[in-house]
Amino acid sequence: MFGKKNTTPIPAKTKEEMPYVKAGMSFKAWREKYGGRHKWRTIRWAVLIGINGLFILSFMLDLSMLEGSLSGSRLIGFYLMDPFNTLQQLVISFYTGHWVHLTMNFVIGDGTIFIFYFLMGGRTFCSWICPYHFLAEWGERLHNYLVKKKKIKEHTYNRYLRYVFWVGFLLLAFFTQNLVFEDLNPVGIISRAMIYGPGLILLWILLLITFEIVHSKRFWCRYVCPIGATYSMVGQLSPFGVKFELDKCAHCLDCQNVCLVPHELWFVERGKATSKRHDVGADCTRCGLCIDVCPGHALSYTVKGWDKIL
Amino acid sequence: MKRQADGLNRRQFLKSSAIAVGALAAVGAGVGYLQKVTTEKRINQNFLRPPGAIEETTFIYACIKCGLCIQICPVKAIKFAGIKDGLAYGTPYIDAREQACDLSCDSIQCVETCPTAALYFVPFKNAGEKAIEAYDKTHKIDANYNPFPVQIKAMKRQVKMGVAKVNDKTCLAVLGKGFKGTPRGNDFKGINRSPYGNSPKATPLRDKHYDEKICDICVKECPMGEEAIVLDKHTRADGTVGYKPKVLDGCVGCGVCVMVCPTEEPSIIVEPLTAS
Repeated sequence: MFGKKNTTPIPAKTKEEMPYVKAGMSFKAWREKYGGRHKWRTIRWAVLIGINGLFILSFMLDLSMLEGSLSGSRLIGFYLMDPFNTLQQLVISFYTGHWVHLTMNFVIGDGTIFIFYFLMGGRTFCSWICPYHFLAEWGERLHNYLVKKKKIKEHTYNRYLRYVFWVGFLLLAFFTQNLVFEDLNPVGIISRAMIYGPGLILLWILLLITFEIVHSKRFWCRYVCPIGATYSMVGQLSPFGVKFELDKCAHCLDCQNVCLVPHELWFVERGKATSKRHDVGADCTRCGLCIDVCPGHALSYTVKGWDKIL
Repeated sequence: MKRQADGLNRRQFLKSSAIAVGALAAVGAGVGYLQKVTTEKRINQNFLRPPGAIEETTFIYACIKCGLCIQICPVKAIKFAGIKDGLAYGTPYIDAREQACDLSCDSIQCVETCPTAALYFVPFKNAGEKAIEAYDKTHKIDANYNPFPVQIKAMKRQVKMGVAKVNDKTCLAVLGKGFKGTPRGNDFKGINRSPYGNSPKATPLRDKHYDEKICDICVKECPMGEEAIVLDKHTRADGTVGYKPKVLDGCVGCGVCVMVCPTEEPSIIVEPLTAS
Protein backbone atom coordinates (compact mmCIF):
# COMPACT_ATOMS: atom_id res chain seq x y z
CA MET A 1 0.00 0.00 0.00
CA PHE A 2 2.83 2.38 0.85
CA GLY A 3 5.92 3.02 -1.21
CA LYS A 4 4.69 1.27 -4.29
CA LYS A 5 6.54 2.75 -7.22
CA ASN A 6 6.27 0.30 -10.04
CA THR A 7 2.64 -0.27 -11.00
CA THR A 8 3.09 -1.84 -14.43
CA PRO A 9 3.10 -5.65 -14.23
CA ILE A 10 6.28 -7.36 -15.27
CA PRO A 11 5.77 -9.80 -18.18
CA ALA A 12 4.36 -13.20 -17.28
CA LYS A 13 6.82 -16.03 -16.80
CA THR A 14 7.35 -18.51 -19.62
CA LYS A 15 6.84 -22.21 -19.03
CA GLU A 16 10.60 -22.78 -18.82
CA GLU A 17 10.78 -20.36 -15.91
CA MET A 18 8.17 -22.25 -13.87
CA PRO A 19 9.58 -23.92 -10.76
CA TYR A 20 8.11 -27.35 -11.54
CA VAL A 21 9.76 -27.38 -14.97
CA LYS A 22 13.05 -26.45 -13.37
CA ALA A 23 12.57 -29.34 -10.95
CA GLY A 24 11.87 -31.61 -13.89
CA MET A 25 8.39 -32.62 -12.76
CA SER A 26 4.86 -32.30 -14.02
CA PHE A 27 2.82 -29.53 -12.39
CA LYS A 28 0.46 -32.00 -10.73
CA ALA A 29 3.18 -34.18 -9.24
CA TRP A 30 5.16 -31.17 -8.08
CA ARG A 31 2.13 -29.61 -6.42
CA GLU A 32 1.20 -32.84 -4.70
CA LYS A 33 4.72 -33.50 -3.50
CA TYR A 34 5.54 -30.11 -2.06
CA GLY A 35 2.17 -28.48 -1.29
CA GLY A 36 -0.24 -28.92 1.58
CA ARG A 37 2.00 -28.91 4.63
CA HIS A 38 0.59 -28.14 8.08
CA LYS A 39 3.60 -26.83 9.94
CA TRP A 40 2.46 -23.29 10.67
CA ARG A 41 -1.13 -24.27 11.24
CA THR A 42 -0.04 -26.69 13.96
CA ILE A 43 2.16 -24.07 15.59
CA ARG A 44 -0.56 -21.44 15.34
CA TRP A 45 -3.29 -23.63 16.80
CA ALA A 46 -0.95 -24.59 19.62
CA VAL A 47 -0.34 -20.91 20.39
CA LEU A 48 -4.06 -20.06 20.13
CA ILE A 49 -5.15 -22.90 22.36
CA GLY A 50 -2.22 -22.27 24.69
CA ILE A 51 -3.04 -18.61 25.24
CA ASN A 52 -6.76 -19.19 25.69
CA GLY A 53 -5.96 -22.15 27.92
CA LEU A 54 -3.70 -19.98 30.03
CA PHE A 55 -6.63 -17.62 30.59
CA ILE A 56 -8.78 -20.51 31.73
CA LEU A 57 -6.12 -22.06 33.93
CA SER A 58 -5.27 -18.71 35.49
CA PHE A 59 -8.83 -18.42 36.72
CA MET A 60 -9.38 -22.07 37.62
CA LEU A 61 -6.12 -22.64 39.44
CA ASP A 62 -5.52 -19.06 40.54
CA LEU A 63 -2.23 -18.97 38.64
CA SER A 64 -2.10 -15.17 38.18
CA MET A 65 -0.38 -15.66 34.82
CA LEU A 66 -2.90 -14.28 32.35
CA GLU A 67 -5.93 -12.86 34.09
CA GLY A 68 -9.09 -11.22 32.83
CA SER A 69 -10.33 -11.97 29.33
CA LEU A 70 -9.53 -10.93 25.78
CA SER A 71 -11.40 -7.66 26.38
CA GLY A 72 -8.81 -6.63 28.92
CA SER A 73 -6.24 -8.67 30.72
CA ARG A 74 -3.14 -8.73 32.83
CA LEU A 75 -0.11 -10.76 31.83
CA ILE A 76 1.92 -11.37 35.01
CA GLY A 77 0.81 -8.03 36.38
CA PHE A 78 1.20 -6.21 33.07
CA TYR A 79 -2.01 -4.81 31.58
CA LEU A 80 -3.24 -5.45 28.04
CA MET A 81 -6.34 -3.86 26.56
CA ASP A 82 -8.53 -4.60 23.58
CA PRO A 83 -8.04 -1.66 21.18
CA PHE A 84 -11.58 -1.32 19.83
CA ASN A 85 -13.04 -1.58 23.29
CA THR A 86 -10.81 1.23 24.47
CA LEU A 87 -11.63 3.28 21.37
CA GLN A 88 -15.34 3.07 22.19
CA GLN A 89 -14.53 3.86 25.79
CA LEU A 90 -12.54 6.95 24.79
CA VAL A 91 -15.16 8.16 22.32
CA ILE A 92 -17.79 8.13 25.07
CA SER A 93 -15.65 9.30 27.95
CA PHE A 94 -14.06 12.21 26.14
CA TYR A 95 -17.59 13.51 25.73
CA THR A 96 -18.78 12.79 29.27
CA GLY A 97 -15.53 13.65 31.00
CA HIS A 98 -14.91 10.21 32.46
CA TRP A 99 -11.56 10.00 30.68
CA VAL A 100 -9.76 11.95 33.40
CA HIS A 101 -10.32 9.01 35.73
CA LEU A 102 -8.90 6.37 33.38
CA THR A 103 -5.94 4.74 35.08
CA MET A 104 -2.30 4.48 34.15
CA ASN A 105 -2.88 0.77 33.60
CA PHE A 106 -5.34 1.69 30.86
CA VAL A 107 -2.63 3.68 29.09
CA ILE A 108 -0.01 0.97 29.64
CA GLY A 109 -2.37 -1.72 28.37
CA ASP A 110 -3.23 0.20 25.23
CA GLY A 111 0.35 1.25 24.58
CA THR A 112 1.66 -2.29 24.94
CA ILE A 113 -0.94 -3.71 22.58
CA PHE A 114 -0.34 -0.95 20.08
CA ILE A 115 3.45 -1.38 20.05
CA PHE A 116 3.29 -5.17 20.03
CA TYR A 117 0.86 -5.39 17.15
CA PHE A 118 2.56 -2.58 15.30
CA LEU A 119 5.67 -4.76 15.27
CA MET A 120 3.97 -8.11 14.79
CA GLY A 121 1.47 -7.01 12.15
CA GLY A 122 -1.90 -5.97 13.56
CA ARG A 123 -4.15 -8.78 12.45
CA THR A 124 -1.74 -11.37 13.79
CA PHE A 125 -4.12 -11.20 16.74
CA CYS A 126 -6.93 -12.58 14.59
CA SER A 127 -5.36 -15.85 13.57
CA TRP A 128 -2.98 -16.46 16.45
CA ILE A 129 -5.14 -15.52 19.45
CA CYS A 130 -8.81 -14.88 18.56
CA PRO A 131 -10.93 -17.88 19.62
CA TYR A 132 -13.66 -16.99 17.14
CA HIS A 133 -11.17 -17.30 14.30
CA PHE A 134 -10.51 -20.86 15.40
CA LEU A 135 -14.23 -21.70 15.33
CA ALA A 136 -14.67 -19.92 12.02
CA GLU A 137 -11.83 -21.89 10.46
CA TRP A 138 -13.83 -25.06 11.05
CA GLY A 139 -16.98 -23.33 9.85
CA GLU A 140 -15.10 -22.39 6.71
CA ARG A 141 -14.23 -26.02 6.02
CA LEU A 142 -17.86 -27.00 6.29
CA HIS A 143 -18.83 -24.06 4.12
CA ASN A 144 -16.29 -25.02 1.44
CA TYR A 145 -17.59 -28.58 1.47
CA LEU A 146 -21.17 -27.40 1.02
CA VAL A 147 -20.20 -25.08 -1.82
CA LYS A 148 -18.26 -27.88 -3.50
CA LYS A 149 -21.28 -30.18 -3.25
CA LYS A 150 -23.37 -27.36 -4.74
CA LYS A 151 -25.70 -27.34 -1.72
CA ILE A 152 -25.26 -23.61 -1.27
CA LYS A 153 -24.05 -20.63 -3.26
CA GLU A 154 -21.09 -18.50 -2.27
CA HIS A 155 -21.93 -14.89 -1.42
CA THR A 156 -19.32 -12.16 -1.28
CA TYR A 157 -19.57 -8.60 -0.11
CA ASN A 158 -17.48 -5.51 -0.36
CA ARG A 159 -14.58 -5.81 2.04
CA TYR A 160 -14.67 -2.11 2.88
CA LEU A 161 -17.89 -2.93 4.73
CA ARG A 162 -15.67 -3.41 7.78
CA TYR A 163 -14.83 0.26 7.89
CA VAL A 164 -18.48 1.21 7.65
CA PHE A 165 -19.14 -1.02 10.65
CA TRP A 166 -16.06 0.39 12.39
CA VAL A 167 -17.37 3.94 12.15
CA GLY A 168 -20.93 2.78 12.75
CA PHE A 169 -20.15 1.01 16.00
CA LEU A 170 -18.18 4.00 17.27
CA LEU A 171 -21.10 6.27 16.46
CA LEU A 172 -23.52 3.89 18.14
CA ALA A 173 -21.30 3.80 21.22
CA PHE A 174 -21.24 7.58 21.29
CA PHE A 175 -24.95 8.12 20.86
CA THR A 176 -26.16 5.40 23.21
CA GLN A 177 -23.35 5.88 25.76
CA ASN A 178 -22.87 2.17 25.87
CA LEU A 179 -20.18 -0.20 24.67
CA VAL A 180 -22.56 -1.54 22.04
CA PHE A 181 -20.03 -3.63 20.19
CA GLU A 182 -18.92 -5.43 23.33
CA ASP A 183 -22.42 -6.90 23.62
CA LEU A 184 -22.02 -8.47 20.18
CA ASN A 185 -18.29 -9.08 20.14
CA PRO A 186 -17.67 -12.82 19.63
CA VAL A 187 -14.06 -12.47 20.81
CA GLY A 188 -15.09 -11.17 24.22
CA ILE A 189 -18.16 -13.38 24.46
CA ILE A 190 -16.29 -16.61 23.73
CA SER A 191 -13.38 -15.58 25.89
CA ARG A 192 -15.63 -14.81 28.86
CA ALA A 193 -17.70 -17.93 28.29
CA MET A 194 -14.59 -20.11 28.32
CA ILE A 195 -13.09 -18.53 31.40
CA TYR A 196 -16.07 -17.64 33.57
CA GLY A 197 -18.69 -20.09 32.38
CA PRO A 198 -21.12 -20.14 29.46
CA GLY A 199 -24.35 -18.20 29.11
CA LEU A 200 -27.27 -17.82 26.77
CA ILE A 201 -25.37 -15.25 24.76
CA LEU A 202 -23.51 -18.12 23.11
CA LEU A 203 -26.62 -18.53 20.96
CA TRP A 204 -25.49 -15.38 19.19
CA ILE A 205 -22.18 -17.07 18.36
CA LEU A 206 -24.09 -20.09 17.07
CA LEU A 207 -26.17 -17.81 14.86
CA LEU A 208 -23.06 -16.12 13.50
CA ILE A 209 -21.25 -19.32 12.70
CA THR A 210 -24.35 -20.80 11.08
CA PHE A 211 -24.69 -17.71 8.93
CA GLU A 212 -21.06 -18.07 7.87
CA ILE A 213 -21.52 -21.73 7.04
CA VAL A 214 -24.69 -21.43 4.98
CA HIS A 215 -24.36 -17.98 3.47
CA SER A 216 -21.04 -16.19 3.21
CA LYS A 217 -17.57 -17.53 3.96
CA ARG A 218 -15.96 -15.89 7.01
CA PHE A 219 -18.59 -13.16 6.99
CA TRP A 220 -17.79 -11.70 10.41
CA CYS A 221 -14.00 -11.66 10.07
CA ARG A 222 -14.03 -10.38 6.50
CA TYR A 223 -16.80 -7.83 6.47
CA VAL A 224 -17.80 -6.86 10.00
CA CYS A 225 -15.30 -7.22 12.82
CA PRO A 226 -14.14 -3.75 13.90
CA ILE A 227 -11.44 -5.28 16.10
CA GLY A 228 -9.86 -6.76 12.99
CA ALA A 229 -10.27 -3.42 11.24
CA THR A 230 -8.53 -1.65 14.13
CA TYR A 231 -5.67 -4.13 14.12
CA SER A 232 -5.43 -3.78 10.36
CA MET A 233 -4.85 -0.06 10.84
CA VAL A 234 -2.36 -0.63 13.65
CA GLY A 235 -0.36 -3.05 11.51
CA GLN A 236 -0.26 -0.83 8.45
CA LEU A 237 3.50 -0.33 8.62
CA SER A 238 4.51 -3.37 10.58
CA PRO A 239 7.83 -4.99 9.71
CA PHE A 240 6.77 -8.58 10.34
CA GLY A 241 4.82 -10.17 7.54
CA VAL A 242 4.64 -12.55 4.64
CA LYS A 243 6.77 -12.03 1.55
CA PHE A 244 6.28 -13.36 -1.95
CA GLU A 245 9.00 -14.36 -4.40
CA LEU A 246 7.84 -14.46 -7.98
CA ASP A 247 10.59 -16.82 -9.15
CA LYS A 248 9.31 -19.67 -7.00
CA CYS A 249 5.62 -19.21 -7.87
CA ALA A 250 3.76 -21.44 -10.33
CA HIS A 251 0.50 -19.45 -10.19
CA CYS A 252 -1.52 -22.38 -8.85
CA LEU A 253 -3.58 -19.98 -6.68
CA ASP A 254 -3.77 -22.49 -3.85
CA CYS A 255 -2.75 -19.69 -1.49
CA GLN A 256 -5.69 -17.51 -2.51
CA ASN A 257 -8.06 -20.38 -1.92
CA VAL A 258 -7.02 -20.88 1.70
CA CYS A 259 -6.60 -17.17 2.50
CA LEU A 260 -8.98 -15.20 4.69
CA VAL A 261 -8.13 -12.04 2.76
CA PRO A 262 -7.37 -13.23 -0.81
CA HIS A 263 -7.30 -9.69 -2.14
CA GLU A 264 -4.00 -9.24 -0.33
CA LEU A 265 -2.51 -11.99 -2.49
CA TRP A 266 -3.39 -10.26 -5.77
CA PHE A 267 0.18 -10.60 -7.08
CA VAL A 268 0.16 -14.40 -7.21
CA GLU A 269 -2.00 -14.38 -10.31
CA ARG A 270 -0.24 -14.87 -13.60
CA GLY A 271 0.96 -11.61 -15.07
CA LYS A 272 -0.16 -9.42 -12.12
CA ALA A 273 3.03 -9.06 -10.11
CA THR A 274 4.77 -5.76 -10.54
CA SER A 275 8.07 -6.78 -9.00
CA LYS A 276 10.07 -9.90 -8.22
CA ARG A 277 9.20 -9.56 -4.56
CA HIS A 278 6.00 -8.48 -2.88
CA ASP A 279 5.00 -8.00 0.73
CA VAL A 280 1.49 -8.96 1.77
CA GLY A 281 -0.54 -5.98 2.98
CA ALA A 282 -1.93 -5.01 6.37
CA ASP A 283 -5.12 -7.05 6.13
CA CYS A 284 -3.01 -10.22 6.25
CA THR A 285 -3.47 -12.13 9.51
CA ARG A 286 -0.07 -13.83 9.28
CA CYS A 287 -1.82 -17.16 9.74
CA GLY A 288 0.66 -18.99 7.54
CA LEU A 289 -1.92 -21.07 5.65
CA CYS A 290 -0.57 -19.77 2.33
CA ILE A 291 2.99 -20.55 3.42
CA ASP A 292 1.96 -24.10 4.24
CA VAL A 293 0.03 -24.67 1.06
CA CYS A 294 2.55 -23.20 -1.39
CA PRO A 295 4.36 -25.99 -3.25
CA GLY A 296 7.18 -23.71 -4.41
CA HIS A 297 7.87 -22.05 -1.03
CA ALA A 298 7.26 -18.75 -2.77
CA LEU A 299 5.61 -17.36 0.35
CA SER A 300 7.45 -17.09 3.67
CA TYR A 301 7.52 -15.09 6.90
CA THR A 302 9.85 -12.16 6.88
CA VAL A 303 10.94 -9.16 8.87
CA LYS A 304 11.14 -6.30 6.44
CA GLY A 305 14.58 -4.78 6.27
CA TRP A 306 16.09 -7.59 8.32
CA ASP A 307 15.70 -10.56 6.00
CA LYS A 308 18.79 -9.64 4.01
CA ILE A 309 20.91 -9.30 7.14
CA LEU A 310 19.70 -12.45 8.85
CA MET B 1 -5.14 -3.65 -9.07
CA LYS B 2 -6.85 -6.50 -7.28
CA ARG B 3 -9.15 -9.17 -8.51
CA GLN B 4 -11.64 -8.70 -5.72
CA ALA B 5 -11.67 -4.99 -6.29
CA ASP B 6 -12.32 -5.52 -9.99
CA GLY B 7 -15.39 -7.54 -9.12
CA LEU B 8 -16.62 -4.63 -7.07
CA ASN B 9 -19.61 -3.89 -9.19
CA ARG B 10 -22.59 -1.74 -8.58
CA ARG B 11 -24.81 -4.54 -7.40
CA GLN B 12 -22.33 -5.79 -4.82
CA PHE B 13 -21.79 -2.28 -3.59
CA LEU B 14 -25.50 -1.69 -3.13
CA LYS B 15 -25.93 -5.05 -1.43
CA SER B 16 -23.07 -4.36 0.97
CA SER B 17 -24.28 -0.86 1.77
CA ALA B 18 -27.76 -2.13 2.43
CA ILE B 19 -26.37 -4.77 4.81
CA ALA B 20 -24.23 -2.27 6.71
CA VAL B 21 -26.96 0.32 7.08
CA GLY B 22 -29.57 -2.30 7.92
CA ALA B 23 -27.42 -4.06 10.50
CA LEU B 24 -26.32 -0.88 12.22
CA ALA B 25 -29.85 0.47 12.26
CA ALA B 26 -31.10 -2.80 13.75
CA VAL B 27 -28.38 -2.79 16.41
CA GLY B 28 -29.01 0.87 17.16
CA ALA B 29 -32.75 0.35 17.50
CA GLY B 30 -32.16 -2.71 19.68
CA VAL B 31 -29.81 -0.82 21.95
CA GLY B 32 -32.16 2.12 22.18
CA TYR B 33 -35.03 -0.14 23.09
CA LEU B 34 -33.05 -2.07 25.68
CA GLN B 35 -31.78 1.15 27.16
CA LYS B 36 -35.31 2.37 27.61
CA VAL B 37 -36.59 -0.90 29.02
CA THR B 38 -33.76 -2.17 31.17
CA THR B 39 -31.89 0.81 32.57
CA GLU B 40 -34.56 1.81 35.04
CA LYS B 41 -35.22 -1.79 35.95
CA ARG B 42 -31.57 -2.42 36.56
CA ILE B 43 -31.13 0.63 38.72
CA ASN B 44 -34.17 -0.24 40.79
CA GLN B 45 -33.56 -3.92 41.19
CA ASN B 46 -31.19 -5.54 43.62
CA PHE B 47 -28.14 -5.16 41.46
CA LEU B 48 -25.31 -4.87 43.91
CA ARG B 49 -22.19 -3.58 42.18
CA PRO B 50 -18.69 -4.33 43.50
CA PRO B 51 -17.02 -1.82 45.84
CA GLY B 52 -16.10 1.53 44.38
CA ALA B 53 -18.60 1.27 41.51
CA ILE B 54 -19.29 4.65 39.99
CA GLU B 55 -22.74 5.92 39.13
CA GLU B 56 -24.74 3.38 37.11
CA THR B 57 -25.15 5.34 33.89
CA THR B 58 -21.39 5.92 33.72
CA PHE B 59 -20.56 2.46 35.00
CA ILE B 60 -22.40 0.86 32.11
CA TYR B 61 -19.91 2.20 29.56
CA ALA B 62 -16.86 2.57 31.79
CA CYS B 63 -16.86 -1.18 32.43
CA ILE B 64 -15.25 -3.01 29.53
CA LYS B 65 -16.34 -6.43 30.83
CA CYS B 66 -12.83 -7.78 31.12
CA GLY B 67 -13.45 -9.74 34.31
CA LEU B 68 -10.32 -8.68 36.18
CA CYS B 69 -12.32 -7.84 39.30
CA ILE B 70 -14.00 -11.24 39.12
CA GLN B 71 -10.65 -12.90 38.79
CA ILE B 72 -8.96 -11.14 41.66
CA CYS B 73 -11.72 -11.52 44.26
CA PRO B 74 -10.44 -14.12 46.75
CA VAL B 75 -13.93 -15.17 47.83
CA LYS B 76 -15.31 -15.14 44.26
CA ALA B 77 -18.15 -12.85 45.23
CA ILE B 78 -18.31 -11.02 41.89
CA LYS B 79 -20.20 -12.50 38.96
CA PHE B 80 -20.94 -11.56 35.36
CA ALA B 81 -24.45 -10.37 34.55
CA GLY B 82 -26.09 -12.58 31.95
CA ILE B 83 -27.89 -11.78 28.75
CA LYS B 84 -31.22 -11.45 30.58
CA ASP B 85 -29.91 -8.22 32.07
CA GLY B 86 -29.91 -6.65 28.62
CA LEU B 87 -27.28 -4.01 28.16
CA ALA B 88 -25.77 -4.82 31.52
CA TYR B 89 -24.59 -8.09 30.01
CA GLY B 90 -21.05 -8.83 31.10
CA THR B 91 -20.89 -6.24 33.87
CA PRO B 92 -19.95 -7.41 37.36
CA TYR B 93 -22.37 -7.69 40.25
CA ILE B 94 -22.53 -9.35 43.63
CA ASP B 95 -25.20 -11.83 44.60
CA ALA B 96 -24.88 -11.29 48.33
CA ARG B 97 -27.19 -14.13 49.27
CA GLU B 98 -24.97 -16.67 47.50
CA GLN B 99 -21.59 -15.15 48.22
CA ALA B 100 -21.18 -11.79 49.85
CA CYS B 101 -18.16 -9.54 49.65
CA ASP B 102 -16.75 -10.19 53.10
CA LEU B 103 -13.89 -7.65 52.79
CA SER B 104 -11.42 -10.31 53.85
CA CYS B 105 -9.15 -9.40 50.94
CA ASP B 106 -7.76 -6.53 53.02
CA SER B 107 -6.76 -4.37 50.10
CA ILE B 108 -9.94 -3.98 48.01
CA GLN B 109 -8.06 -5.33 44.96
CA CYS B 110 -11.12 -5.45 42.74
CA VAL B 111 -11.15 -1.66 42.75
CA GLU B 112 -7.42 -1.33 42.38
CA THR B 113 -7.32 -3.73 39.44
CA CYS B 114 -9.97 -1.96 37.37
CA PRO B 115 -8.16 -0.30 34.46
CA THR B 116 -11.04 1.91 33.37
CA ALA B 117 -11.99 3.28 36.78
CA ALA B 118 -15.48 1.82 36.58
CA LEU B 119 -14.50 0.80 40.08
CA TYR B 120 -12.85 4.00 41.16
CA PHE B 121 -9.81 3.56 43.37
CA VAL B 122 -8.77 7.15 44.10
CA PRO B 123 -11.11 7.70 47.09
CA PHE B 124 -9.84 4.47 48.64
CA LYS B 125 -6.25 5.47 48.15
CA ASN B 126 -6.87 8.90 49.62
CA ALA B 127 -8.76 7.53 52.60
CA GLY B 128 -5.94 5.08 53.31
CA GLU B 129 -3.25 7.73 53.06
CA LYS B 130 -5.17 10.13 55.25
CA ALA B 131 -5.59 7.43 57.89
CA ILE B 132 -1.86 6.70 57.88
CA GLU B 133 -1.05 10.38 58.19
CA ALA B 134 -3.31 10.75 61.21
CA TYR B 135 -1.95 7.56 62.73
CA ASP B 136 1.65 8.69 62.19
CA LYS B 137 1.10 11.79 64.29
CA THR B 138 0.43 9.79 67.43
CA HIS B 139 2.10 6.44 66.89
CA LYS B 140 5.36 7.09 65.05
CA ILE B 141 7.46 6.45 68.13
CA ASP B 142 5.46 3.42 69.16
CA ALA B 143 7.42 0.15 69.23
CA ASN B 144 4.50 -1.73 67.72
CA TYR B 145 4.11 0.77 64.90
CA ASN B 146 1.92 -0.80 62.25
CA PRO B 147 -0.20 1.51 60.14
CA PHE B 148 -1.66 -1.16 57.89
CA PRO B 149 -4.69 -2.17 59.95
CA VAL B 150 -5.56 1.51 60.25
CA GLN B 151 -5.19 2.02 56.53
CA ILE B 152 -7.24 -1.07 55.68
CA LYS B 153 -9.99 -0.07 58.06
CA ALA B 154 -10.15 3.38 56.51
CA MET B 155 -10.29 1.87 53.04
CA LYS B 156 -13.06 -0.52 54.01
CA ARG B 157 -15.07 2.36 55.41
CA GLN B 158 -14.84 3.90 51.96
CA VAL B 159 -16.73 0.93 50.44
CA LYS B 160 -20.28 2.09 49.92
CA MET B 161 -22.12 -0.51 47.92
CA GLY B 162 -25.43 -0.13 49.64
CA VAL B 163 -27.18 -0.10 52.98
CA ALA B 164 -28.62 -3.07 54.84
CA LYS B 165 -32.27 -3.08 55.78
CA VAL B 166 -33.95 -5.41 58.27
CA ASN B 167 -37.29 -6.99 57.54
CA ASP B 168 -39.12 -6.79 60.90
CA LYS B 169 -41.73 -9.36 59.90
CA THR B 170 -39.36 -12.29 59.52
CA CYS B 171 -36.24 -11.38 61.50
CA LEU B 172 -35.70 -14.01 64.21
CA ALA B 173 -34.38 -11.44 66.69
CA VAL B 174 -37.41 -9.23 66.27
CA LEU B 175 -39.64 -12.28 66.73
CA GLY B 176 -37.67 -13.05 69.89
CA LYS B 177 -36.33 -16.33 68.55
CA GLY B 178 -32.89 -17.83 68.81
CA PHE B 179 -30.96 -19.91 66.34
CA LYS B 180 -29.12 -23.18 66.72
CA GLY B 181 -27.14 -24.90 63.99
CA THR B 182 -25.70 -23.91 60.63
CA PRO B 183 -27.50 -20.91 59.15
CA ARG B 184 -27.60 -21.89 55.48
CA GLY B 185 -27.45 -25.66 55.67
CA ASN B 186 -24.63 -28.07 55.00
CA ASP B 187 -24.62 -27.69 51.23
CA PHE B 188 -24.11 -23.95 51.18
CA LYS B 189 -20.94 -22.95 49.36
CA GLY B 190 -20.53 -19.39 50.65
CA ILE B 191 -17.46 -18.42 52.66
CA ASN B 192 -16.57 -15.54 54.91
CA ARG B 193 -13.99 -14.48 57.47
CA SER B 194 -15.48 -13.91 60.87
CA PRO B 195 -14.28 -10.78 62.60
CA TYR B 196 -13.93 -12.73 65.86
CA GLY B 197 -12.15 -15.75 64.39
CA ASN B 198 -8.43 -16.37 64.15
CA SER B 199 -8.36 -17.58 60.58
CA PRO B 200 -6.58 -15.15 58.23
CA LYS B 201 -8.67 -16.46 55.34
CA ALA B 202 -12.36 -16.84 54.72
CA THR B 203 -13.80 -20.20 55.76
CA PRO B 204 -16.96 -22.00 54.64
CA LEU B 205 -20.11 -20.92 56.42
CA ARG B 206 -21.30 -24.53 56.60
CA ASP B 207 -18.46 -25.32 59.05
CA LYS B 208 -19.75 -22.80 61.56
CA HIS B 209 -22.24 -23.63 64.27
CA TYR B 210 -24.22 -21.18 66.27
CA ASP B 211 -26.22 -21.49 69.40
CA GLU B 212 -27.83 -18.13 70.06
CA LYS B 213 -30.63 -17.45 72.49
CA ILE B 214 -31.55 -14.43 70.44
CA CYS B 215 -30.37 -14.70 66.83
CA ASP B 216 -27.62 -12.17 66.25
CA ILE B 217 -25.57 -13.87 63.54
CA CYS B 218 -25.64 -10.84 61.26
CA VAL B 219 -24.29 -8.66 64.06
CA LYS B 220 -21.58 -11.18 64.92
CA GLU B 221 -20.39 -11.76 61.36
CA CYS B 222 -20.45 -8.14 60.17
CA PRO B 223 -16.93 -7.30 58.96
CA MET B 224 -17.39 -3.67 59.91
CA GLY B 225 -18.41 -4.58 63.46
CA GLU B 226 -20.16 -2.27 65.85
CA GLU B 227 -19.97 0.76 63.66
CA ALA B 228 -22.28 -0.88 61.11
CA ILE B 229 -24.79 -3.02 62.99
CA VAL B 230 -25.68 -3.67 66.62
CA LEU B 231 -28.34 -5.73 68.34
CA ASP B 232 -30.61 -3.09 69.78
CA LYS B 233 -32.29 -4.02 73.06
CA HIS B 234 -35.41 -2.14 74.01
CA THR B 235 -38.28 -2.47 76.42
CA ARG B 236 -41.71 -2.58 74.86
CA ALA B 237 -44.78 -0.82 76.23
CA ASP B 238 -45.98 -4.02 77.89
CA GLY B 239 -42.72 -4.42 79.77
CA THR B 240 -41.23 -7.27 77.72
CA VAL B 241 -37.74 -6.96 76.23
CA GLY B 242 -37.48 -6.73 72.44
CA TYR B 243 -34.49 -7.05 70.17
CA LYS B 244 -33.73 -5.74 66.73
CA PRO B 245 -30.57 -5.57 64.62
CA LYS B 246 -30.01 -1.89 64.09
CA VAL B 247 -28.14 -0.78 60.99
CA LEU B 248 -25.90 2.24 61.58
CA ASP B 249 -24.18 4.75 59.33
CA GLY B 250 -21.06 2.60 59.18
CA CYS B 251 -22.81 0.00 57.05
CA VAL B 252 -20.98 -0.42 53.74
CA GLY B 253 -23.48 -2.77 52.14
CA CYS B 254 -21.11 -5.69 51.79
CA GLY B 255 -23.96 -8.16 52.21
CA VAL B 256 -22.40 -10.59 54.68
CA CYS B 257 -25.51 -10.21 56.86
CA VAL B 258 -27.64 -11.20 53.87
CA MET B 259 -25.55 -14.29 53.29
CA VAL B 260 -25.54 -15.49 56.89
CA CYS B 261 -29.20 -14.80 57.65
CA PRO B 262 -30.72 -18.17 58.59
CA THR B 263 -34.32 -17.50 57.56
CA GLU B 264 -35.69 -19.01 54.33
CA GLU B 265 -35.86 -15.62 52.66
CA PRO B 266 -33.18 -13.28 54.02
CA SER B 267 -34.61 -11.08 56.74
CA ILE B 268 -31.99 -8.50 56.02
CA ILE B 269 -31.27 -7.24 52.53
CA VAL B 270 -28.86 -4.75 51.07
CA GLU B 271 -30.34 -1.92 49.06
CA PRO B 272 -27.78 -0.92 46.45
CA LEU B 273 -26.63 2.65 46.60
CA THR B 274 -27.45 3.04 42.92
CA ALA B 275 -31.12 2.78 43.84
CA SER B 276 -31.11 6.11 45.64
